[in-house]
Amino acid sequence: MSSSAGHTHHGEAHQKPLVGSMGVDSRKLGLWAFIGSETLFFATLILTHLIFYARTTNTLSSVGALELLDPRLGYLAIELTTVLATLLLASSLTMVLALAASKARDWKRFRFWQLATILLGASFVGGQIYEFIHLYHEGLKLAPAYEMHLSHEAYKALSALNIDPSIVRLKEAGEHATALVPSLFGVTFFVMTGFHGLHVTIGIIWLIAIYVKVLRFPESPENPMDIELGGLYWHFVDLVWVAIFTLIYLI
Amino acid sequence: MAIAEQKLTSTAPTTSESFQWRSWLATVDHKKIGIIYIISAFVFFIIGGIEAMLMRVQLGTPNNTFLSADLYNQLFTMHATTMVFLVVMPMNVGIGNYVVPLMIGARDMAFPRLNAFSVWLFLGGGFLLYLSFLTGGATNVGWFAYAPLTQTQFSPGQGVDYWILGLGLTGVASIAGALNFIVTVLNMRAPGMTINRMPLFVWMNLVVSFILIFAFPTFTVASIQLLFDRQFGAAFFNPALGGDAVLWQHLFWFFGHPEVYILILPVMGMISEVLPVYSRKPIFGYSFVAFSGVGIGFLGFIVWAHHMFGTGMGPLANGFFAAASMVIAIPTGVKIFNWIATMWGGDVRLTTAMLYAIGFISMFIIGGISGITLASPPIDLQQTDSYYVVAHFHYVLFGGSILGLFAGAFYWFPKMTGRMLNEMLGKVQFWLMLISMNVTFFPMHFLGTEGMPRRIYTYESGMGWEMWNFIETIGTFFLAFSVLLFIYNVLVSLRSGEVASNDPWDAATLEWVVPSPPPSYNFLHIPQVTSRRPLWDAKYPHSTADDHHGEKSAPSQIRYEYSHEDSPGAKEIHMPTLTYMPMVLSSGLTVAALGFIYINQAILGLPMRVASYVFIAIGFVMVFYAIRGWVLDSRRDSPYLGHH
Amino acid sequence: MRKDARQKVMLAMVMAGITMVLAGCANLPATTMYTYGDHATRILDLLMVVFWMAVAVFVVVQGALVYTVVRFRNKQETTALPKQIHGNTKIEIAWTIAPAIVVLIIAVLTFRTQAANSVMPPEAIKIRSIAHQWWFEFQYFNQDGVSLSTPIVVDEQNQPTITTATDLYVPVGVPITIQLDAADVMHNFWIPKIAGKTYMIPGKSNYLTFTVQEPGIYKAFCAEFCGEAHAQMHFRLIALPQAEYDSWKVNVAKIPASAAGTVQVLGLTGDAARGAALFADAKKQCASCHVIAGTDAKGKIGPNLTYLGSRTALGGAILPYSVDNLAKWLQDSSAIKQGNLMGRVIKKGTLTDQEVADLTAYLDSMKLSVALPAEK
Repeated sequence: MSSSAGHTHHGEAHQKPLVGSMGVDSRKLGLWAFIGSETLFFATLILTHLIFYARTTNTLSSVGALELLDPRLGYLAIELTTVLATLLLASSLTMVLALAASKARDWKRFRFWQLATILLGASFVGGQIYEFIHLYHEGLKLAPAYEMHLSHEAYKALSALNIDPSIVRLKEAGEHATALVPSLFGVTFFVMTGFHGLHVTIGIIWLIAIYVKVLRFPESPENPMDIELGGLYWHFVDLVWVAIFTLIYLI
Repeated sequence: MAIAEQKLTSTAPTTSESFQWRSWLATVDHKKIGIIYIISAFVFFIIGGIEAMLMRVQLGTPNNTFLSADLYNQLFTMHATTMVFLVVMPMNVGIGNYVVPLMIGARDMAFPRLNAFSVWLFLGGGFLLYLSFLTGGATNVGWFAYAPLTQTQFSPGQGVDYWILGLGLTGVASIAGALNFIVTVLNMRAPGMTINRMPLFVWMNLVVSFILIFAFPTFTVASIQLLFDRQFGAAFFNPALGGDAVLWQHLFWFFGHPEVYILILPVMGMISEVLPVYSRKPIFGYSFVAFSGVGIGFLGFIVWAHHMFGTGMGPLANGFFAAASMVIAIPTGVKIFNWIATMWGGDVRLTTAMLYAIGFISMFIIGGISGITLASPPIDLQQTDSYYVVAHFHYVLFGGSILGLFAGAFYWFPKMTGRMLNEMLGKVQFWLMLISMNVTFFPMHFLGTEGMPRRIYTYESGMGWEMWNFIETIGTFFLAFSVLLFIYNVLVSLRSGEVASNDPWDAATLEWVVPSPPPSYNFLHIPQVTSRRPLWDAKYPHSTADDHHGEKSAPSQIRYEYSHEDSPGAKEIHMPTLTYMPMVLSSGLTVAALGFIYINQAILGLPMRVASYVFIAIGFVMVFYAIRGWVLDSRRDSPYLGHH
Repeated sequence: MRKDARQKVMLAMVMAGITMVLAGCANLPATTMYTYGDHATRILDLLMVVFWMAVAVFVVVQGALVYTVVRFRNKQETTALPKQIHGNTKIEIAWTIAPAIVVLIIAVLTFRTQAANSVMPPEAIKIRSIAHQWWFEFQYFNQDGVSLSTPIVVDEQNQPTITTATDLYVPVGVPITIQLDAADVMHNFWIPKIAGKTYMIPGKSNYLTFTVQEPGIYKAFCAEFCGEAHAQMHFRLIALPQAEYDSWKVNVAKIPASAAGTVQVLGLTGDAARGAALFADAKKQCASCHVIAGTDAKGKIGPNLTYLGSRTALGGAILPYSVDNLAKWLQDSSAIKQGNLMGRVIKKGTLTDQEVADLTAYLDSMKLSVALPAEK
């Protein structure tokens, strides 16, 4: 529960921890408060995305084009993101194992599981980047409209609906047909998942720093707490992904 | 232990000692950091005041040409941004930083380096905000920056981007500071100081810190989204491209309303300390006052749309927010009655600090009443966006926060500097400030009722607004003079003011146990606390009381300390070492933020984006260097290693 | 405080109070204390009740504060401690409930007024107002099939019958619903003597319903900061008796007669026919921003100038109408209204004085016969 602010070594009346303190390590308490703050941060991003997604679906269903042009169905591949979610959840598991190893002072085991966590995290980020690039080529960008590639049948079906071009603009260029739909789905999606990815990246850097530090000073007595704090942040970042995955991809 | 028995030795450094740059730039001492906050906030207060005076000169007569429309618009935007983010918030945090650890019997904040990081990052953000005046114009869209006026096509140039990034930095600084306060108050109280025995100033800081960490992220996200709109082709708030202008308002005010409680609650905490001391009795209804603060904290999150009654949300939504806004008047009223009851039956000494505290209550009553009329949507539709609402918030912010901060200043100045402020000057200044404040702001109620809209750089003659505008402008000059008197008082008192003892006011809380100013380690012996007023109960063990509601457990063993840096036993107290890393980290973030502002521009004669990338790169190098150094610092200071 | 000093303070406060009362009493051009519209009147009625409650609260609480300080002020150096009272739960509960009751009363009255002010009677005349940086446009429609609470859709089938700017003509005694829109940024619509203000938001339509109780010309403003010239974005509500209004509607819809006549301005003689030719000249750019009924001008950026000669004010209602003011505007609008869009194109010197005189003559020649009521 102590922090580094002004401690004494000799003969000082020992602070009774229970009455003046919550009994939780200060840095852990601080990190929990920070996590509380970050929860609001991501909640705002997620809420904004859901608001604009709802508007898009309302508009599309009012012209009968929702099934063909729903950006969620058209762009968000459940398969890839399930793999990503699995990677991140697995990394939380390996993080727990790393912490357990550090508490048992088995530094070899710790380094193994910590490295596994870092690699799994890095694969997640790599996968996210791959998904972003893939979506970009499919027509979903950080732009206030998405351009969805259409199959021939889809193009025919949409043309038959005679939709106002300000809601859906159909384009045909030879073999390729697309539908341009003004929508903030792309913008809100990339900002939300992009900032999550940024948080994961910061987490990876943090975990690498811990790895290096423990490598150099394995006997440092504060190592388990350092690892636990990094792990706490890492679990949070994973939980945010679970929330995003559930709210954005599944429901 | 009467006051007369206290030793009168000033522990303030004599003026012959040379100013130690390193001891300030690399400090992690909460007292020095508090002073940096306080001085910086005061400088910004002067700047914000000058901005106000320029505006009032422009408005003193109709059809005035003293300022152009655009410059006026920059001034009112920056005046508000400055006063909210660069004056009242950092002043609250500065005084809180100095006083809270002392009040809870701790040696420092929980995270001293993070504390230093907060103050330097706050200065970095303030620097960015004001740099904009020199680089093409400051933001000119109002401090709440409604969309879509903030989009690039309506606000070209970089002013709004400076505002976004500048406040982004100060926001991070604030969140870090709030985390620090939360952990400090929850984890570092002296033995025996339960939550129910904490001074009310500490309570309010705790509540405000929680409000802050939950309210700021919404503003951070909204401003990131706005930045993306302006720089990266997003359209969150651009209706022409499918975005929603009202969404900005919801996000901003979800932060913005709790923000005003962040501005006032710490000050209410200060008043709750000042009033009992100068009445020589305890605060009346400690629990009610504490819980009303918590209540205001919670309720503050569900009233935000009372800033949006005119946007057409519909009667149901309007009704809900109106009801919630009126409910929040109740805990506020409770506090006022408790404060009056504190003085009732007391032995009221009208020192300058006490006068300011009473002035605070009086002005806040007026501000609160105008708030009630604004909380009623029909009435609000006439009063909002007019000078009536300008009157309201100046009463609660100047009459409330500023007057309360002066009360805190006069109360704690002796503790921080070892000198007493001149009381005669202080009283003259108080009356001048109180009267000129009313002369400046009360007529704004009339102007609003008479149809004068707000944020107008000029008005035509014949509207009947001339007289009050002119009077208000005169009032502003007297108000400015009263601030000058304060500066004079401070300078004179620092040089030759009466030396302050540990406890010049015969107060009740722990900060008055230690010398004025305290040594770097605060307490030689961490006190054992047995009641809500540990020092008072030590001085007056037989003071009659109806009952202590069960919070007194044993006679207080507190005694004055007369310690200094070389006292026996002081050497064994290890305080965290000086380090430049927090300053380097904040500077790195500031440099990177500056680069970000120009992410789509070609500046300094370089091709598109090159300068921006260079700044960002330099900034990040500094950031990584600082983080590495910070981690090494924490290893050096680690209690486990016993290196020193 | 010494007795005579106290008396002086009391006297000062009484004088201040009298001034306050007097100040609120004058019927100034934009005051909300003299109302001529039902919306504003209901608000004023509510405010009066709340105001007196507020005065009572103020007197009681400030009085308690001042009394407490005066009565318990330290008289001499005493060392005896006052009674160290920590609180009194019963009293504290009482003064928690008391403000709750006050607030409850205000809330109930508020909801009643709000409900009354939200009513949109089916017989209301619907007019659309679009806010632009920095002027107000007004569109009148055929009222058949116009629904009150959904936005009027303007397309090929549904065009406004009258498009005008700055002067909003309405009949007295009849409910009016204004559909509030915005073309660029957020503005709002405030006629202080008639109704509370409502925002004009791009991408969303709002509605404001009111009935004007007396004929008159009422000052009105944009009260939502909307950019550089926000301070000079005004308009006028012109409420006419029903018969006058009907005749205005008929006359304003007619195409103005061909330009004829002269006007003396800037020391020159302006000729309306020459002015009409100048207006139509593409090189002069008037037609790229403005519309005048009966000409080929199709501009959508600036106000409709049809029958400008009968406008009560120019430049977004900041200049009283006169040929001199019109000429000044044409010569250098940026000097009058900083930031205005016309001034970016028609700068000082873009038009010669003779051109200005001719255009003035042309615009001034388009007059309607309408008996304007008094300014309120």
